[in-house]
Amino acid sequence: MDRLEVQERVIKTTARVLKLDPGEVNLESDFAADLGAESIQSIELVAAFEEEFNIEMDEDAALQVMTVGSAVEFIYDHIVSQKG
Amino acid sequence: MRLILFDGPEEERAKFYPLSYCRPVWELRCGMTALGEKLIGKLGAQQVAYFVPPYMADAYAERVDGKVNDPSGLAGDDVLLVHGSLKAATLDVAPTGPSEVGMLGDLVAYVRVAQADLGKLDTGSIEAFLASARQALPQVSCRAERFEYVWEVMLDSPHQIIDDFKAAGRSGIEGVIEEPSAIRGNKNDVYVAPGCEVHPMVVIDATEGPVFLDEGVEVHPFTRIEGPAYVGPKTILLGTKLREGCSVGPVCRLGGEIEESVIQGHSNKYHDGFLGHAYVGEWVNLGALTTNSDLKNDYTSVEVIQNGKKIDTGSNKVGALIGDHTKTSIGTLLNTGAIVGSMGMIMATGQPLQKTIPAFAWLVNGVVTKGFGRKALYRTAATAMGRRKQAWTPAIEAMWEAVYELTAPERNEAIKRGRRMAS
Repeated sequence: MDRLEVQERVIKTTARVLKLDPGEVNLESDFAADLGAESIQSIELVAAFEEEFNIEMDEDAALQVMTVGSAVEFIYDHIVSQKG
Repeated sequence: MRLILFDGPEEERAKFYPLSYCRPVWELRCGMTALGEKLIGKLGAQQVAYFVPPYMADAYAERVDGKVNDPSGLAGDDVLLVHGSLKAATLDVAPTGPSEVGMLGDLVAYVRVAQADLGKLDTGSIEAFLASARQALPQVSCRAERFEYVWEVMLDSPHQIIDDFKAAGRSGIEGVIEEPSAIRGNKNDVYVAPGCEVHPMVVIDATEGPVFLDEGVEVHPFTRIEGPAYVGPKTILLGTKLREGCSVGPVCRLGGEIEESVIQGHSNKYHDGFLGHAYVGEWVNLGALTTNSDLKNDYTSVEVIQNGKKIDTGSNKVGALIGDHTKTSIGTLLNTGAIVGSMGMIMATGQPLQKTIPAFAWLVNGVVTKGFGRKALYRTAATAMGRRKQAWTPAIEAMWEAVYELTAPERNEAIKRGRRMAS
């Protein structure tokens, strides 16, 4: 899976969980400040990313991720390290 | 005499989950005291040692004076080992006498060993000791009764309050009852301990059973306490409808309606909401309007799903069984016979939640998630304990780390199921 596919799926998943139009989500979007994610929704987002990408994310590390772009990096790195 | 309490094997301890994740079975409250206190009192033991699962030994040693998991205690003088699930009132075993192993089915209920026979036994570990005792000593059928499941402790607690009240031999008002308040029934069936303050407009109804308010209890106006009832030291009742049969441990804050429930101690149910036929561990916080069902609409006996098995309790009244350190949000609705694992963070959905919630679950929208993880739960637990001047120690954290591993298979399965449901 390349970085662009990760990016598309992260945006699509984020929009679905937060009930937004995908066009409203970009790499600079802050989950809380820009997209209005409450703390419970951040838990749902982590669960949704894990299901979408079939990965296990460390809770503490995952919840440090603040923006969509950093989520893409985090997940991409995770996938690459799992493959490696 | 020397008494040793044990509660293995683990498959028997598991029948007391989620309350036994972090304590031996004999620490469960039933009536005015814990099961172990009753056994020690009945046997008149001066010296008591304990064998608990290795993962909780250090944490338990911080709580008790006697030796914990020390094999040297198995050697030496005459000794009696008793299983912590036995009902003390039914135990008819002389502390000293011929060596023998008392069996309840396949369970070792007690082992009595005269000093002369100790050499025949393997004192290397509790497991080796019990195994060698079964081989080397005569076996007899134990006539005592035991608790097999955690809800049985809760169901027996109201009767036990009556027996414990008689055994305590206390009655009268040594604290303060402010007027106007009322005692219904025989005043000899009420004990208000020193330091206890009962505010005006409180009714203590002892017509159906005794009421024991322990030292430092504070009862706020518009509380009604129906006996049998025991309220532990420094607990505060805030306009509570404390229906019959409640046993409450120390330092709780309780409001709303509570019926025939056991609350181990240090837990809060500050606000309105119904708790019936429930067993609640320590350091639990039930948010406002948290309510449990304790009766099915068709009045049939309640089934509990414990350790993956559906078990008919044989009782038509069983509420929620809630593990230590679990928190519920406002408006949480718990199902009849629900098991809510320890260290849970439970968010309401507006509907009754599933009957089994694993330990360390962050339940969001009815789905088990990893949430913010266990370290966040530990921080909350440390804060809650700190508010009551109790320390969250490295030994306690190590114990919960072991519980986290112990409960991982059930939780991980629920998390995977939850992800699929949510996607």
